[in-house]
Amino acid sequence: MSGASVKVAVRVRPFNSRETSKESKCIIQMQGNSTSIINPKNPKEAPKSFSFDYSYWSHTSPEDPCFASQNRVYNDIGKEMLLHAFEGYNVCIFAYGQTGAGKSYTMMGKQEESQAGIIPQLCEELFEKINDNCNEEMSYSVEVSYMEIYCERVRDLLNPKNKGNLRVREHPLLGPYVEDLSKLAVTSYTDIADLMDAGNKARTVAATNMNETSSRSHAVFTIVFTQKKHDNETNLSTEKVSKISLVDLAGSERADSTGAKGTRLKEGANINKSLTTLGKVISALAEV
Amino acid sequence: MANVPWAEVCEKFQAALALSRVELHKNPEKEPYKSKYSARALLEEVKALLGPAPEDEDERPEAEDGPGAGDHALGLPAEVVEPEGPVAQRAVRLAVIEFHLGVNHIDTEELSAGEEHLVKCLRLLRRYRLSHDCISLCIQAQNNLGILWSEREEIETAQAYLESSEALYNQYMKEVGSPPLDPTERFLPEEEKLTEQERSKRFEKVYTHNLYYLAQVYQHLEMFEKAAHYCHSTLKRQLEHNAYHPIEWAINAATLSQFYINKLCFMEARHCLSAANVIFGQTGKISATEDTPEAEGEVPELYHQRKGEIARCWIKYCLTLMQNAQLSMQDNIGELDLDKQSELRALRKKELDEEESIRKKAVQFGTGELCDAISAVEEKVSYLRPLDFEEARELFLLGQHYVFEAKEFFQIDGYVTDHIEVVQDHSALFKVLAFFETDMERRCKMHKRRIAMLEPLTVDLNPQYYLLVNRQIQFEIAHAYYDMMDLKVAIADRLRDPDSHIVKKINNLNKSALKYYQLFLDSLRDPNKVFPEHIGEDVLRPAMLAKFRVARLYGKIITADPKKELENLATSLEHYKFIVDYCEKHPEAAQEIEVELELSKEMVSLLPTKMERFRTKMALT
Repeated sequence: MSGASVKVAVRVRPFNSRETSKESKCIIQMQGNSTSIINPKNPKEAPKSFSFDYSYWSHTSPEDPCFASQNRVYNDIGKEMLLHAFEGYNVCIFAYGQTGAGKSYTMMGKQEESQAGIIPQLCEELFEKINDNCNEEMSYSVEVSYMEIYCERVRDLLNPKNKGNLRVREHPLLGPYVEDLSKLAVTSYTDIADLMDAGNKARTVAATNMNETSSRSHAVFTIVFTQKKHDNETNLSTEKVSKISLVDLAGSERADSTGAKGTRLKEGANINKSLTTLGKVISALAEV
Repeated sequence: MANVPWAEVCEKFQAALALSRVELHKNPEKEPYKSKYSARALLEEVKALLGPAPEDEDERPEAEDGPGAGDHALGLPAEVVEPEGPVAQRAVRLAVIEFHLGVNHIDTEELSAGEEHLVKCLRLLRRYRLSHDCISLCIQAQNNLGILWSEREEIETAQAYLESSEALYNQYMKEVGSPPLDPTERFLPEEEKLTEQERSKRFEKVYTHNLYYLAQVYQHLEMFEKAAHYCHSTLKRQLEHNAYHPIEWAINAATLSQFYINKLCFMEARHCLSAANVIFGQTGKISATEDTPEAEGEVPELYHQRKGEIARCWIKYCLTLMQNAQLSMQDNIGELDLDKQSELRALRKKELDEEESIRKKAVQFGTGELCDAISAVEEKVSYLRPLDFEEARELFLLGQHYVFEAKEFFQIDGYVTDHIEVVQDHSALFKVLAFFETDMERRCKMHKRRIAMLEPLTVDLNPQYYLLVNRQIQFEIAHAYYDMMDLKVAIADRLRDPDSHIVKKINNLNKSALKYYQLFLDSLRDPNKVFPEHIGEDVLRPAMLAKFRVARLYGKIITADPKKELENLATSLEHYKFIVDYCEKHPEAAQEIEVELELSKEMVSLLPTKMERFRTKMALT
């Protein structure tokens, strides 16, 4: 595996109707893989620049030659992920940002022409590669899970009727796992698309006066990809199993301060109102 | 104001209050704030019915207000003024509505509107802050403003509001003292007014929350001792006012003990843990209060889990106390220093003399019966650093007792990481006990016990998922074998005629230590089995230490065969060379293992000569 094992990409979306009506100014600029940000309160100040592995300029439209399309994002990020999965590695992608920033658009996208996100494109290519295989010694199987984490409870999106909270356990050989999470076998891209669709509809999305849709839950879509090679001469089989985890995180503005150490993008200075959280506060003190 | 239909006003208010209390998840999924918006509408109607706010006539210059007088005047009022007369009464009623509107807006994420209402509330109450009729409302409004400002990350402003509430409470209790009116009573008919007892209960609850919010503020300001003190006070008050759920309270007290343990305040830690045991034992005898979140069906499992967690807190207490003693009494090679031990013994008397005065300063839980029950638990556990084997053994046995208790819940299937941590703590208990043990054979046996509990873990765990933990365990096992080997060598040195039996034992231990250091080093290789050119900084020191020990171990293999001896020396040299070379190429590594690097350099210069002498000797025979 070449290069770094962790890559960071940043993407900027077009203005929405509210922002356009308020004549908002764009304070983001991108050049190559650098992103810079202007201080709107002091525009004369030099913009601050940050380097990423990828900086995707999606603020304008496809007519703009600098525009980063869904395809471009997939080609850079998704293709490499799929390659590593075929090599037998586990891969994971997180989408992080505030509500309305465009995480779900990047991850899932829309059903319209050339607006498919990373997940559907990756799944489509996965099956293309499987179907293109001519080597009769190789056989493949694909299973998917889709779960939602909301208010510290885990829900199975492929079996939403099971209102129960799924437990997270650790097994010495199998590692950490979610007990009773559905793992469904799929044989084509359409299978996956249908399951994702059903799962997405089951996600918890709520409306308040402040936001049109407030995404409050984390969603984790997992593809377990097994490649079996049967050696006809020795009559032995070897197996490579890789996990592709695609995570759409809840709006970061609701990042809960759970006392976890390390730097966070938003350092929560919130005060918890109810005494039921006394335990969390004391835990955080004990970790200091 | 004449035709205010009072009954209607009260009814609307009560309805609004009921709606405000509806739990959010009971609302339709896509409209989580529906009940709040309905409550708000009703509150606005009540406000309209009450009429306009009274003008601020005869604005007396409030000299006693601190700087920044005005809406945010948080200084202590000089006198108690009760709101008498229709104008004052209307002001107070409106203040109640403004308060609820403020909280409503905050609950629905509309902070600016929330702030406006709460500030209005305080302005209406300004003259009557310290009164029996208004103190509770005033404190609650300030507390909510404190919470609001913390959401805006202006923590100092939050602190100002909350500390003002604290001061107001204390002043009220000193100057007035009688249980004040609860704000909700404003809109209740005479018959339904609350009893003194109920009023006191609610007011004290408000103050308990005040202390809790301050604890969080101090935590954010990194004033950790103060934060812990306020958490401690919050817990104490929960007990005093019978507003707690035993399981939850116990785990919170036990967790707080960890803070004190980290600060080496063992008396306070012991008090928290003992209280945790006593209160946890009350489970089943006390009925749940409104502060209890757990659903009925979850209670049995939660009981066992919390029991295990409290046990783990006790393990840390015993372990840290013993390790702290070791640190104060060890010499530069990690053995017991008799001089230091005598010093600490002399200090002991002074520590015991000071005990009473320290205890008085600390926050104590409970009075009367509860206090006695807690003391009964405390008496069985020492809080002083153990100075000899006997004292250490007592702590060891207590720690071990809790290890078994913790393992009852934290079994490996289901709780791998937790289970392993408990086993590691058990191993650490043996290790620190060995420090106090004077007999070398017995020390060996203790290390053997450690290995016996750790070795099965390396077999059962999938290294792919538990890489870090696996490495830790391999390293610890290797070190335990290494210590055992050194002990056996010391024992052999004392014997006049070390027999072949003990030599075999020493070599076997050497081999086992090598095996595990090698396993650890192999875990650093990439999928193609290549050892990394550049070792990651998180494993750098242990990797270097492992190499160093491997080098030393090869040099200690006892063999009569000169050819073998030469081979071993060569391998030993190879490893010392690796360390010297790597540190040259990577200067940051040199900083990590200064001592070992020095010794390695020495060996690299000495060993070739030794090996040459050996070769010549071999050629001659």
